Amino acid sequence: MKQNEMLAMILAGGRGSRLHDLTNKVAKPAVSYGGKYRIIDFPLSNCANSGIDVVGVLTQYESVLLNSYVAAGRRWGLDAKDSGVYVLPPREKADANLNVYRGTADAISQNIDFIDSYAPEHVLILSGDHIYKMNYAKMLAEHNSHGAAATIAVIEVPKKEASRFGIMNTDETGRIVEFEEKPEHPKSNLASMGIYIFNWKLLRKMLISDMKDPDSSHDFGKDIIPALLAEEKLLHAYKFKGYWKDVGTIDSLWEANMDLLDPNNELDLHDNRWKIYTEDVTTLPQYLGPNANLKQVFLTQGCTVDGEVKNSVLFTGTKVGTGAKVIDSVLMPGVIVEDGATITRALVADGVKIGKNAVVGSADSVEIELIAKKVKGDE
Amino acid sequence: MYSAFGIVKPTGRNVWVDGLEDYRAVGAFSFMGRYRLIDFPVSNMSNSGIDCIQVYIKRKPLSLTAHLGSGRHYNINSKRGDLQVLFPENRTEHDLYNTDIDSFFTNIEKIIEMPQEYVVIAPAYMIYKMDYSELVKQHAESGADVSIAYHSVDNANESFLNCNILNLNKQKGVESIVPNQGTAKNKNISMDTYVMKKTMFIDLVNAAHKLSSMYTLRDIVNDVSCTMDVRGIPHRGFFASITDFKSYYDANIALINFKTARELFSTDWPIYTKTNDSCPTQYFQDADVKLSVVSNGCLIEGSVENSIIGRGCEIKKGAVVKNSVILAGAVIGEDVHVENQVVDKRAKLIHVKELVSDPSEPGYIKRGDTI
Repeated sequence: MKQNEMLAMILAGGRGSRLHDLTNKVAKPAVSYGGKYRIIDFPLSNCANSGIDVVGVLTQYESVLLNSYVAAGRRWGLDAKDSGVYVLPPREKADANLNVYRGTADAISQNIDFIDSYAPEHVLILSGDHIYKMNYAKMLAEHNSHGAAATIAVIEVPKKEASRFGIMNTDETGRIVEFEEKPEHPKSNLASMGIYIFNWKLLRKMLISDMKDPDSSHDFGKDIIPALLAEEKLLHAYKFKGYWKDVGTIDSLWEANMDLLDPNNELDLHDNRWKIYTEDVTTLPQYLGPNANLKQVFLTQGCTVDGEVKNSVLFTGTKVGTGAKVIDSVLMPGVIVEDGATITRALVADGVKIGKNAVVGSADSVEIELIAKKVKGDE
Repeated sequence: MYSAFGIVKPTGRNVWVDGLEDYRAVGAFSFMGRYRLIDFPVSNMSNSGIDCIQVYIKRKPLSLTAHLGSGRHYNINSKRGDLQVLFPENRTEHDLYNTDIDSFFTNIEKIIEMPQEYVVIAPAYMIYKMDYSELVKQHAESGADVSIAYHSVDNANESFLNCNILNLNKQKGVESIVPNQGTAKNKNISMDTYVMKKTMFIDLVNAAHKLSSMYTLRDIVNDVSCTMDVRGIPHRGFFASITDFKSYYDANIALINFKTARELFSTDWPIYTKTNDSCPTQYFQDADVKLSVVSNGCLIEGSVENSIIGRGCEIKKGAVVKNSVILAGAVIGEDVHVENQVVDKRAKLIHVKELVSDPSEPGYIKRGDTI
């Protein structure tokens, strides 16, 4: 294949501390989602499906699992010659000490040498913790046709929620005239998705001056974008329509899983034209026992069910015993629900065992209960 | 540890599965929704530390070669290991001549160049779990010339009718290998699985080829059993032999029982297969699925009982699937009632609402058919 026109860099260093115990040992992009995936499968599969060959993944917080997970580029088909997924944690260099990534922009700044080695025309900056399907090739085409210096993907959000996002104010051509981070009184409802295409030469120059600025927080949203606007560069807003979710909390992670149960959900993981790839786990098919009863369920291989499961998403290798009930819940990989146990409105963390006849969660709880420790049942 | 390479034999004339075999080699048959028959011998070999494997194909190579690929999904080392797919060069229209010996003889150079001392030869049409490193060890330490794995059954009068029987003496010495005529219940069924030194194997292939152009490996081993030390090695655990349509159906249905499945599948002995990157299966509000084995990528709105559902199937509202094996990508339309059927890949059952066969003679719906 030809030389890379666009290289992708995925920011995957964040902890996601509002996910509590789920991110004690793994970074947020490695959190499981949708029965068989990890969140970072989405940007990685999007890259692979968009024809991007080289992807750098910037890791920092609890990176052991994430590093080995993404390094197997073969899972996403990113293993041809001249192709690959490169894990980029902070490193010591000949002319610089080992520094942590001080912000999203700094993470890229510290890897200028890596990007230079591919000499791409454009660089695509992505977040490793968003769930969506997007063809970045289309975004690049629009970036080129508008002759933009940078293009930022935006999505329409409900006006009343707009103050939670970075909001782009555009003119009629789609040119960004103003950027406001979490504005109290938003002027538009176009939220930044944290997806940027930059001309590499320009971004490189901006990053080098940003590194030297002692007052900068080294963040794309707070520093780089405002600096580009101040220089009156052409910043274009690429309007994205479709499913997009930033799962920051237990409630939103639960909700994003529940979205999959809606027959009309826009993410449509069944669409074979844009598959999401993930680790190939060797398991049995789904085994449903004589007492199984499943209504509105997302179930994956390696699960065995002999109880009642309603409105729930069950991940790889979960077991639901005879007479157990799982309602409005998300069971992460390897969860065991023993005979007769009942789980309602809960998110059960990886490998947790719910003992015989135990009862967890409740139908009228305000927040989704996170079960991260073994629950004892009858002996 | 004795060094051995593996051979997956081409299937002989004792195997013919109506319908399914029109489209693919036996090894490429879908099994339990997500597997193919070839996954069993190749995973057994890989798990036994055998990572040089030759798969012989007699006919219809497409599905099988596509599935095997580079063999990486079988956990075969990509540098030290090797998965070869071999095809007989001089295949004739007369199937009588297309014997396993003929496949081996035309590829004898490929066999000679294998550096391992021993060879394990297994069929693609039998399903079982076996540690071949134990088999090789037992064979090597017994001093026998050839060892054959066998499984003792108590229903040989009605099942395993196209298989061979080992007649054993008290020391497990093989006296003869004869076709199962169904005359008695208790018999030792040959698992068509052999272990011997590579040099012995080459000698037998050459001898068989010289004797008769219709000779099979079984024939020559049967011949030499009176002059050489040929022994049987017993196997325990799940065992199924797929020699015809009914036994294909029965083997699938038998493994719906989770306890039975546990005899074949265990976490320390994974059966590998090629991933399809299907998303999980969605069960809708009206779904009613019990006692079944379901693969990923399905959309289920109807009822399913005592059945196997392959990858990416759609079971529409009001559809009833009972005692059936549904292969990948099939669509069971609204209010269609399917009972005791094997529905081949991507078939669409839409207009005919009732497809019910007698349980003793399950029906077959052709690949890609719209009914």
